[in-house]
Formats: sequence, structure tokens, C-alpha cells
Amino acid sequence: MSEKYLREHPGEMKMMYTGHNEALIELAEENEDVVILYADFPQDEAGKYFKNKFPHRLLNLGIAEGNMITVAGGLAAGGKIPFTHCHNIFAIGRGYNQIRQLAFDKLNVKIVLCNSGMLWSFMGASHQMIEDIASLRAVPGLTLVSPADAVEAKKTSKAVVEYDGPVAIRIAQPEVPVIYDEDYPFEIGKAVKLKEGSDLTIFSTGIMVLEALEAADLLSKEGIDARVIDMHTLKPADEIAIKEAALETGAIVTVEDSNILGGLGGIVAEVVTENVLVPLQRIGAIDRFGQTGSIDELKAEYNLTKIDIAKAAKEVVKRKKS
Amino acid sequence: MPHDEKLIKDLEEKAKALRRHVINMINKAGMGWIGGSFSETEIITCLLFHHMKHDPKNPDWPERDRLILSKAHCCEMLYAALGEAGYFSKEHFNSYGKFGALLQAHSQTTTPGVEYSGGSLGTGLSFAVGEALVTKIDRYSGSLDSQKFNVYCILGDGECDEGQVWEAALVASHFELDNLTVIVDRNDYQSTGKVVDIMRLEPLMEKWRSFSWHVLDIDGHDMVQIMDALNEANKTRGKPTTIIAHTIKGKGVPSFEERRLHFTKITDDMYSEAMEVLR
Repeated sequence: MSEKYLREHPGEMKMMYTGHNEALIELAEENEDVVILYADFPQDEAGKYFKNKFPHRLLNLGIAEGNMITVAGGLAAGGKIPFTHCHNIFAIGRGYNQIRQLAFDKLNVKIVLCNSGMLWSFMGASHQMIEDIASLRAVPGLTLVSPADAVEAKKTSKAVVEYDGPVAIRIAQPEVPVIYDEDYPFEIGKAVKLKEGSDLTIFSTGIMVLEALEAADLLSKEGIDARVIDMHTLKPADEIAIKEAALETGAIVTVEDSNILGGLGGIVAEVVTENVLVPLQRIGAIDRFGQTGSIDELKAEYNLTKIDIAKAAKEVVKRKKS
Repeated sequence: MPHDEKLIKDLEEKAKALRRHVINMINKAGMGWIGGSFSETEIITCLLFHHMKHDPKNPDWPERDRLILSKAHCCEMLYAALGEAGYFSKEHFNSYGKFGALLQAHSQTTTPGVEYSGGSLGTGLSFAVGEALVTKIDRYSGSLDSQKFNVYCILGDGECDEGQVWEAALVASHFELDNLTVIVDRNDYQSTGKVVDIMRLEPLMEKWRSFSWHVLDIDGHDMVQIMDALNEANKTRGKPTTIIAHTIKGKGVPSFEERRLHFTKITDDMYSEAMEVLR
């Protein structure tokens, strides 16, 4: 896959949740087994649509996230395809044990981890979930997908229905520019090479993918040719893409809006260490809780800007040469 | 309503046979949850050998009634009943709790006939609520292949300490899940002592009632009372039912009852006594 699937310029500002809602509305008609569950969480357009046309496939189970996830397990055991909706922090924070049970039984539940990651303006540390990747990827049998924009979010939600098993989908809260063309072919587990490059590879996921692309632009102005990869599936991770990047570009930077401990940084470091040792630097929340602030303020405070990424890139390229 | 005396007697004999299976299972495994298995014996016997619609030869039959054993540590009795009913060979009783065994230390769906993988207390009722909702969704959606079945969930009384039990109880009454019945195995003891000392549950009936459930209170070792309560639960419309079944930990073997055994080894003396009284 190549940059041909990217829009020439990042498009309109759109929430990933909006893309997901568009998928649910299509799925409502396409698959009568799809049921949507909310833990008193905003239902947006899909909620309105189901309420009008399929009210009995819309269940608001109140502020009890762990319970919602186990109820979804029961629904899946009865042949339904439930999508649960709540804040990432409370799905995992209140429902880890319950998610683990679903995974053990390979139940066909789709857990939508809304408002994921560090870049959630205003809500503060209690709501900024940075441990999600590390905790969920340790659960055997669970698939974890982290789309980069509204188009990829929509494609993810459509694709997970075709896959029989538990999937968690982490979507960030802010409106972000749409980067993908509508005809981009999304495949669970297959990383997307957004930009070819030979000096290093930047692996990114979710809301940080655009920042990684912008960092690559900065680098190209300085004569550094960075490959950029969208690791939309964090589990199972595309290990081939990681090994290729290590072999072909010889240096790696990882970029995420969650804790680098066990996060995308951890994933890539594990594969690199076991296969092709190359200089690597991890950008992300470095074992530190969040706080309130604008997206730009948070990016600056937690070193998540394109400038931070470019700086790390130059560092790994320098280490590669020395 | 008059009861079929032969049926009652047969079920009581079946309960005895199941207790013998459990003694053998735990004896071979070296340890097990004998007390809670014996307190739930009549409940499981009545459900699987009389009340529930199910087919051991077709464990995935969509219209089967579901039994969710939320207190999944007391799986020995469920295994005894499922094996006796024909879900798997009774040979498997000999390897319960061993490496690679079909019958693991907590019941899980890898065993034919087991609907829910437990072990984490307090989650079974939520799962049962999900199963019960399936029939509601289908009924109201006018689905052509609408499934109709009842869901039964056995909770331990100690397990009612878990908050998720009450979260699930709220959902069940909110959605008027009248195809869902909870049976609380009210044996008054939990892992480290008496329920009343560890975390008082009374007034338990009022708690369930205040969650808008239909509530019944029975002797959980009396087959007739269990049968009547399950029938009443099925006839109750517009709300789920909980049956508080008063039971005795270790029921059926005097020295077990006296000691309210929870998790234990079986000594030679215990084995001989049990096999003598359960003949």
C-alpha cells in the first residue's frame, strides 16, 4: 500500500466517532444482529437512527461499564454482534476483568474505546487513558485497532463485523483532519505505508498519524527521507512491516498518544529487539498522567509535536550512522 | 397443585447420585468446593433433570434454556449433572482439576453444556442478562428466527457482595426480563466465614424487591418447593424473579453439614461416611 490512499491535503475536520457512527448506521440495515450498547454515553447519529428504526437494538445500560461489557458477552453468546460504547478509561478501568472474560470465550463483542489517549482536551487526568494499549494487548485473543481519522474509523467499524471475535477499537475525541481517501482498502492487521522513505521509519497510530506525516514533511526539508507507517492494528501487530522497516531504513521512531511503556513503542521495540537491532526512540506519554488543557498545550507539554518527532528522527538517524 | 411423587423421588435419587459423583471427583482431584456443590445440588438437579428445556446431544441448540453458574467454583456439581445428563462421558469425572482435563477447576465454556466461563465472582448475572435480552430484542424486532428461551442464573450469597450483581439486577428489571430467573444459593457461608459476619446481606428479599424483582423464599433442598418456585418464576410477567433458596453448606453428609465445609480435601473417613449416607 502506498501514499496513493492519502488525500492530497488533509481534508475536513471530523471526529473519529462520527466516522464510527456512519458505519453503525450502514450496519443497522446490513446486519440485523448488530446491537449498540451505551453506558450513558452520547449516542450521536447512530443512536438517533437506531432509536427511530430499530429501537430494540439500542440499549442504554446506565453508568456501569463493567456490567455493560459482560451483558454484551451474553448477547454475543446468543448470536448478536454488540458494540459497547463508553470512555476508554472506564471500559478498561471498570471492565478489564470483564474484557478478559470475553476474550477467553472468544465472544464476538466490539468494544468501542471512546475518547482514548492523552489528547483529550479539558477532561483532565481522570479521563485521559494512556494505559490502554499496554493492558489490552496483554489479553490473549483480543484484537486492538486504533484508527487515524474518521474514514479509517468507519472502515474499522465495518471490518470488525466481518471478523468473528472480540475487538477493541480505540478512537480519540478531538476533531481531526481527514487524511484517507474514501476508497482506501483497510485490512485488520495490515499496517499502511503512508509514505515511502529510506533514512528511518516513523511508526504511528491513531490521532498521532497526521503529526507523524507532518514531521516527515519537516524532515524532508532537511534532506531526511522518513517512511511513515500507520499501525492501525496494535494487536495482532504487523510484525513484517516492523522487520522490513528495521532492515530497509535502519532506524525507527514510534509515536503514540498513550504510554510508551507497553504501547506502540513497546510493540515495535519488542519486535526490533528480537529480530533486527536498530536505533529506536519512542514518542508518547512517558509514564506520566495527563491534565486539562488545549490539544496544542497538551502536545507541547508531553512532547507530542511534529517538532519533537522530527528531533527524535534526527537523533536515531545520527545513532544509525555512528 | 399435587406433585408427581415418583418424579420427586427420582429427582431426589438423582441428587444423591450427583453427590456421589462429586465426592469421587473431589477425592481424585485432591481438593474441591464440596460445601457449595452440596448446597446447590437440589437446585441443579431440578433444573437440569426436570425443569429446563435442553438437549445434551445438541448443546448449541439455539432455543435451549440457559443455566449460568455464576458461582463457578462450585462447578463440581454442575459437571456431575452435565455428565450424568450425557453432555460428555462420565469418565471425565476422574480427571476433574487435572492438567489438560475437560473439567477445569472453574467451569468454562470449553466443557460441553457450560454456558459461561466463570471464576470471577459477580459477573454471571450480567452475562445472564445479556442472554435474556437476546430473546427480547428478537421478539420486538419481529425477527423471523426469533429465539425463545429462559435463562437461569445461580448466584452464591457471598457473591452478592460484588457490586456488579446489583448493576445487572437494575438492568434486568429496567428491561422487564421476565425470562430471567436468579436462584441465590443462600447457604450463609462464604470463603472465610459466615456471611452475616463478613458482609451482612439481610434483608436480602427486600433488597431484590426494591430492585423491582419478583422474589420468592424457599427451602433450597426441598424438590417440591424448588419446582413450584421455578414454575412461578416462568409464569411471572413483566419482571425477573429471584428465588432465595435457603440451603446448607455440605448438605447431605452430617459431618460436612456440621463443619460447613468450603474448599477441602476429602479424608478416608469423610469418604466412607459420605458413601455410606449417600447410598
